[in-house]
Amino acid sequence: MPDKTKGLKKAREIYLNRSQRVRELKAAGKRIIGYPCVYVPLEMLTALDLIPYRTCGNIREPVTEADKALPSSFCPLMRTCLDCALKGKNDFLDGMATIHSSDPQEKTSRVWQSYTNYSYYHFIDMPITVRPEALEYFRNQLNDFRKTLEAFTGKKLTRDKLEAAIKAHNEQRTLVRKLYELTKPSLPFISGTEIVQVVKALESLPVTDANDLLTEVISEVQDRTDKPQKKPARLLIWSSTLDDADIMQVFEAKANVVMNESCGGIRAYRGMVKLTADPLEGLANYYLNEITCARTFRQATLGETKKDYIRDLQSRFGYFKGIIQDWKINGVIMLLVRYCDPFAFEMPSLKDYLDSIGVPSTYIEYDYSLGTLAPLRIRVEAFLETLS
Amino acid sequence: MDGQKEKKVINRLQSMYPLRNKVNETYLKSIEAIKAGKPAVWAMLNFYYGDPILKAMDIEVVYPENYGALAAAVGVAQQYLDRAIAEGFPTHLCGYSLTTIGYTARMMKDLKWQIPPEAPVGGMPKPLFLLSSAAICDARYKWFQALGRYMDVPVWPLEAPIPGIKEFSIGGYYERMVELGVKHLRDFVAFVEKMVGRKMDWDKLNKMANLMIEINRVWHEINELRKVKPCPMHSRDFWSAMPAALFLAGDLEDSLKLYQNMYQEVKERVNSHMGAIPNEKYRLVFAELPPWHSLGFFDKLAERGWNFVMESFGYHPPIPLDLSKVSDPLERITRFSLQFLVGYYEDARKHNAIGGTSAYPYLKFAKEWRCDGALLHPLISCRSASTHLPYVSNMLMEKLRVPSLTIEGDIVDLRLFNPEDALAKAEPFEEILEHYRKVRRLEGFDW
Repeated sequence: MPDKTKGLKKAREIYLNRSQRVRELKAAGKRIIGYPCVYVPLEMLTALDLIPYRTCGNIREPVTEADKALPSSFCPLMRTCLDCALKGKNDFLDGMATIHSSDPQEKTSRVWQSYTNYSYYHFIDMPITVRPEALEYFRNQLNDFRKTLEAFTGKKLTRDKLEAAIKAHNEQRTLVRKLYELTKPSLPFISGTEIVQVVKALESLPVTDANDLLTEVISEVQDRTDKPQKKPARLLIWSSTLDDADIMQVFEAKANVVMNESCGGIRAYRGMVKLTADPLEGLANYYLNEITCARTFRQATLGETKKDYIRDLQSRFGYFKGIIQDWKINGVIMLLVRYCDPFAFEMPSLKDYLDSIGVPSTYIEYDYSLGTLAPLRIRVEAFLETLS
Repeated sequence: MDGQKEKKVINRLQSMYPLRNKVNETYLKSIEAIKAGKPAVWAMLNFYYGDPILKAMDIEVVYPENYGALAAAVGVAQQYLDRAIAEGFPTHLCGYSLTTIGYTARMMKDLKWQIPPEAPVGGMPKPLFLLSSAAICDARYKWFQALGRYMDVPVWPLEAPIPGIKEFSIGGYYERMVELGVKHLRDFVAFVEKMVGRKMDWDKLNKMANLMIEINRVWHEINELRKVKPCPMHSRDFWSAMPAALFLAGDLEDSLKLYQNMYQEVKERVNSHMGAIPNEKYRLVFAELPPWHSLGFFDKLAERGWNFVMESFGYHPPIPLDLSKVSDPLERITRFSLQFLVGYYEDARKHNAIGGTSAYPYLKFAKEWRCDGALLHPLISCRSASTHLPYVSNMLMEKLRVPSLTIEGDIVDLRLFNPEDALAKAEPFEEILEHYRKVRRLEGFDW
């Protein structure tokens, strides 16, 4: 009988029943704060003894309740997230922290706040550039976030507490990167599907529990004898979100997904928050500058008066080159969640970049629902055939 | 009616025509400017933030969003949409953006920088730089970035903070927005100076800022006059006259005179109780952008007595704000630009209408302009202008007992709008309008 209380089995159990742990914590007197996007600085919640819980959608749940609040031609991810909330799936939440990481996130945040009644609700505005004045503004936004959190908890967010939380979350980032190191060998120690389950479990736990889980998983898979099967292709998937194991299995039926460059994979864990004299500055810089999401406007040189497309591509996508070499990736799938404008506009340019470094790629669009898995499978198989 | 020109039911304002012509003049001037070696720039609608700076620097500006609407209205947009899709951009992207991308791909790849011969009003010439904006949606800064595939032209992305309605009341919030805005504009001025190779004329900027503010004050007053019954100005006149104030099209002193003329004409109509349509049976607010390719649709509704008396706040001038004591023109511009959005925040918070920064103004409009109903036009390819509409519909019904009719369409792609189907919904909706008139009276509303 496999031990469900440890490692991968535990991660899978949490993945399948995400709210179990936070419900226990809630019963024990803890307060749970939902967040819909990895741009929300979780360190600030952790430092005040609040438990962050990512409010995800569900591809198996038809959207019905959210229809009253959002149009059908709108980010399907946000629609299903809101739908789950309106159906009471997150009824344990004490509050929500939302952020202007994209237009749908901003718009949904307004609607979400309007149709729910949490004790705490805060929206963080976020600039689009990494210019100094934008960073300063964002740092001040985090300071406003601090004020409302302090008012809600009745506690002071001290520098010591915040630094300890930053260290704990940095440790998590380090551990996730270690986990991804284990997909580098030609026979990976862990599958893309398993990593999706682990990452989603992390988003359902307090940071210390999550770090313990990660440590167990890394230790377990390094010694495992039941490694994932080696497939003919090693894929990188680039997407806004790929956080569902069933979707990932469509890709892994005939390939190994060794890198999931989305916020259901490595995106929120690739960098580290620097411990700066003003911890909010370090947080602002990390969240605005370090997370490689298409939502941020990047340039080869800030305020450049001359444009060079090749340099521009390098500044926006250059980080892919090292990943593709180190993980020996031979195909990239640009997976677009329908109506996601920041990623949709990026697609032809990313293809240009991948062509320039000689990596085959394809663009596939889907709407984050169970019904799209069959056509998704056909598109993936067609791409894999071109690789072989 | 063979051989005779069909009389239109909407009584258009004569003062609207010279304002409408300003748009065409702008495009033609940009072509002339390029020929004369002067700079021309492509800009996103930036809500009064970057435009006065470009004006003060004598830069001709064309607005691809506006051009997308224009290309749709004259029926040439489709080939640009098709081209953009063939270039690898998804079909569901903003119709304006696809039009620009298709246009640019054709101009830069096929015609080697030559303006496409089929382009209306002379087309858009190759720009010196691109001015994008984070206001309203993601597309409006990602789309100019995407044009880098076709032309090596620098992009300046303008920041546009958007606070939460409740968060805005945190101490010092507004001043921090101003601080960001002023610093950002100062850097933008330095960028423009480098691009055009000369220094800013600060006196001229001062004058441009003041003209912009005054134009929009008069424009605001004109729209206030539309509260009377019958409403003297139809939405079609609003959309035709809007670009001169919203995009600062053409010479600003001239624009100010034209808006003053319009004020006089509308005021005369008010005094003589003349409506924009002969028999105003129903007063409606329209949300958001209209189907530019099918504006004749409004004439059909006017025949039924539907008068459109107000439109989305996003294209209306900011609520007037006294900025006469703000000496720094960049600060005055910033505060004026912010007012476009946050001018409604305090009221929205008081009314607990927190479901969307774009949503609350409809409550104010429906109440103060005495609307019987709302026509909501969700746009398939402009989700930012559509997302809040279900909330608007619920809010108007719950708080004012004002019903909404939703008709899906698009700003550019005429295949997504079915005017016959839309008109078929008009008659049953009139029954609903009548019903809720009675309900409002029973519940103590005064219209």
